[in-house]
Amino acid sequence: MSLQQYWADQGCYLAQPYDLEVGAGTMTPDTFFRVLDRRSWRVGYVQPSRRPNDGRFGENPHRVQKHHQYQVIIKPSPSDIQKIYIDSLVNLGINLSEHDLRFDEDDWESPTIGAWGVGWQVVLDGLEITQFTYFQQAGGVELFPIPVEITYGLERLEMFIEKKDNIFDLDWSGDVSYRDLRLREEKEFSEYNFNVADIDRLRESLALAEAEASMLIARDLLLPAYDLCLKCSHLFNLLDARGAISVTERVKTIGDIRALVVRIAQKYCAGQTGA
Amino acid sequence: MMEFLLEINTEEMPASHVKAGLAQLKEKIEKELRSNSISALSIETQGTCRRLVVFGDFASRQEDKEEVVIGPPKAAAYAADGSPTQAAIGFARSHNTEVGRLEVITTPRGEYVGLKKTAKGRVTGEVLAVGLPAVIASLSFPKMMRWGEVNLRFSRPIKRILCLWGGKLLPFTIEGIKSAGQTSGHKLHSPRAFKVASVSEYLGGLKENWVVLPADERKSSIRKQIEKRLRPLQAQLYPDDELLEKLTYDVEYPHVFLGEFPHDYLRLPLEVLSVAMREGQKLFSVIREGRQTPFFLGVADALRDRKSLIRKGNERVLKARLEDARFFWEQDLKIALTKRAEGLKKVVFQEKLGNYEAKSARLKQIVGYLCDRLDEKTLKKDAVQAAELCKVDLLTEMVREFPSLQGKVGGLYAREEGFPATVSQAIYEHYQPGGLEDPLPSSDAGALLSLADRVDSIVGVVGIGIQVTGSSDPLGLRRQAHGVCRIVLDRKLVFSLDQLLEKAISAYGDILEKPKEEIIEYCRVFFGQRLRFIYDGLGYRYDLVEASLASGLDPIYSSYLRLKALASLQKSPYFEPFILMAKRVNNIIRGLPPYALNPDLFSEKEERELWSSFSIIRDNALPLMAAGEFASAQSMIFKLQAPLNAFFDKILVMAEDKRVRQNRLAQLQAISQLLLKTADFSRVVIEGEKKEKERSS
Repeated sequence: MSLQQYWADQGCYLAQPYDLEVGAGTMTPDTFFRVLDRRSWRVGYVQPSRRPNDGRFGENPHRVQKHHQYQVIIKPSPSDIQKIYIDSLVNLGINLSEHDLRFDEDDWESPTIGAWGVGWQVVLDGLEITQFTYFQQAGGVELFPIPVEITYGLERLEMFIEKKDNIFDLDWSGDVSYRDLRLREEKEFSEYNFNVADIDRLRESLALAEAEASMLIARDLLLPAYDLCLKCSHLFNLLDARGAISVTERVKTIGDIRALVVRIAQKYCAGQTGA
Repeated sequence: MMEFLLEINTEEMPASHVKAGLAQLKEKIEKELRSNSISALSIETQGTCRRLVVFGDFASRQEDKEEVVIGPPKAAAYAADGSPTQAAIGFARSHNTEVGRLEVITTPRGEYVGLKKTAKGRVTGEVLAVGLPAVIASLSFPKMMRWGEVNLRFSRPIKRILCLWGGKLLPFTIEGIKSAGQTSGHKLHSPRAFKVASVSEYLGGLKENWVVLPADERKSSIRKQIEKRLRPLQAQLYPDDELLEKLTYDVEYPHVFLGEFPHDYLRLPLEVLSVAMREGQKLFSVIREGRQTPFFLGVADALRDRKSLIRKGNERVLKARLEDARFFWEQDLKIALTKRAEGLKKVVFQEKLGNYEAKSARLKQIVGYLCDRLDEKTLKKDAVQAAELCKVDLLTEMVREFPSLQGKVGGLYAREEGFPATVSQAIYEHYQPGGLEDPLPSSDAGALLSLADRVDSIVGVVGIGIQVTGSSDPLGLRRQAHGVCRIVLDRKLVFSLDQLLEKAISAYGDILEKPKEEIIEYCRVFFGQRLRFIYDGLGYRYDLVEASLASGLDPIYSSYLRLKALASLQKSPYFEPFILMAKRVNNIIRGLPPYALNPDLFSEKEERELWSSFSIIRDNALPLMAAGEFASAQSMIFKLQAPLNAFFDKILVMAEDKRVRQNRLAQLQAISQLLLKTADFSRVVIEGEKKEKERSS
């Protein structure tokens, strides 16, 4: 893909998707751990992202429970990063002088991993194609130097380039359409996420994963502990999609997961300074 | 005078940040100039989402300062023949000057020789180069961020700082960012940096490079283009000043485009269509005779849209959004509101205050109570039904997607389902007024439901001990109370606030933690503050507002009638003498316990006469007040002045005999109580006192 080449040319190391269910590329270790310390970092990778609540049984032209992000992290953020980003769109063959490209205020926050940042959603002729964020905090830790995160919504970008108004009409590769590739998956997962997933077993799994994460933190196995937190987060999203989470329970569970993540971040930072 | 220009070039800032930044920049630079004795002929600010700009004409240097250095006494400085002595020569040398430049200076202690020195003012450029980095670093924004490895907090990353003084680069550095003599134009159409050497070159350069710098020019350009697009359609914009203001700052070169969407979507109500347009894509909806047309207007940051790519792109995205909205609309209508209401028990209103099912049940009680109180018997059935259903739309897909439509969507669904117009209208309007200036509910039932909802929330939150402070107001209680007051005043509703609060408290059962009296007292003060704010906004005199509010809010509307009456009587010749009299009464009885009154103990003619006048006046004034005729009641009470005067002239209140004394005080207490029902006159400031206060302060 030309995005990969472009960011490789910008000196980014090309990573592979992380092999766990995550809600966004931000949550993978290649972003989460690497933004915490003072060392510089440049990476780009595709990340399939699952959001059970966004499933629409394949009936909505824009929303799906799994989509793909292209995630770029550069730390410290270069002073001309906005221009570099704009050039990446030009590089995809978009003649920007004929379009309306806007950076609309949209600060980002992920309470589950104790992270927030300031930035924009990038909107091209009314279509949101990228989330552009300067991270300020992750795992409850104040960050410095500041990383910039650029997250392209690949399906959205592709819809723009192909001028399609339904995600399933996308021409994914040669003769395979997105419909061929993903429609059945969307239908079945929507059914599972919203109607079938067993609430009691999900709760049990969530409790087990939390316990395992706690145990691993105590043993300083921070990367495996963080994996368990990601599992917690996904299980929580499933429970939420099943409508099994009340408002108070939501606050509590998110708080519990965040507490684990914050402990991991603190230990990780302490280890970095010691080393 | 020399020309100054500063431009802080950033990545896209929110409109509110631009305005805050510009206001602070102007204020801080003016202060910097003032404190350095540099005069300014002009100073102006302009901005877009990508630049904060200040320019003006300032004096080229600080004003010079005259200084006098005193040397030895004249007698010691010159010999008899007038030649300078060693003392004078030494003094001159120590100040790097010649003896000839010394002058004789007359001081209170006698004649001395001395030196008049002019301290040359520093060049303004130097002063600014030192001061500006601190000014820029001290700007504060509603939310601040850091970037890269720059040790500075700002609204968004600073890309470049242009600073010219007298046509030349004014060099300074702030956290690694060096000032430059360059700027750049539109981010897509003219991103290359170009040099500028004056304000006019800068303004001209921006124009040539596709940036309209003055906000009012951008706004009027948007307005003109909108009109031009609408004229052939004979249509109007669905007004949205907030959106227009935001777009004015979001773009540097506005291009307005007209788009169209398929006619099928016109089946959706205007409210839904316009929100779908506004919230996702910041588009204006276009109406004709109050109805949505299949058109919309957008503002692009572009020179033109020759190939209609921007329009078509927006049409595609909008169509998907409208498809979503239609999906929500149709899905939602499949479940009747009464059936959907069962889900309300799963929606939390407030953690300690329970769910929306309970809230709806309370609203039914409170609205029913208000209907009884206000004699709205015919309204009761519909108002109670509206109360039962008004929160159900929280469970709809439409409100989940567009939270700003809450209430409205419920009303629209109720109308579609064929509920009486009174019911659907009340549901539709029950969140009104949203903001302080927003329209009030137009229907009676809507107004009562809005009152009930607000009072329920206020009583609940206060009842679990959450305090509203300057910075913390969860659930927006101030706005809620403000709305209650506006509805009451607008509709001239007369009911007892205390009893309404009691009703609302009892509707909570045993959930609330605070005792009833404490909640009511807190609410009285809270509503009082809101009324003070409203009356002040209406232009009433501060002391009259205080006098009126001090007589209580039971009912709220009476406080307004009292205030109006006070304001109208304040011109009457009886006003001031009466106020003085009232204050005298209050001063005498201040701090005393209540005494029992016994008319048989009156011994003197004047106190008997005062009592009989007072009894008559009281018996006439009370019914007038109950009827809201405060001006008449106050005029009536003014008649107490003559007998009171006679009383104070002839009678010694503090009589030797304790029983007589207490009886006289008791009469004054009774009078004071009646006065207080009209207004707390002791809070009115009259002319003589005002001057007194000014002198002493």
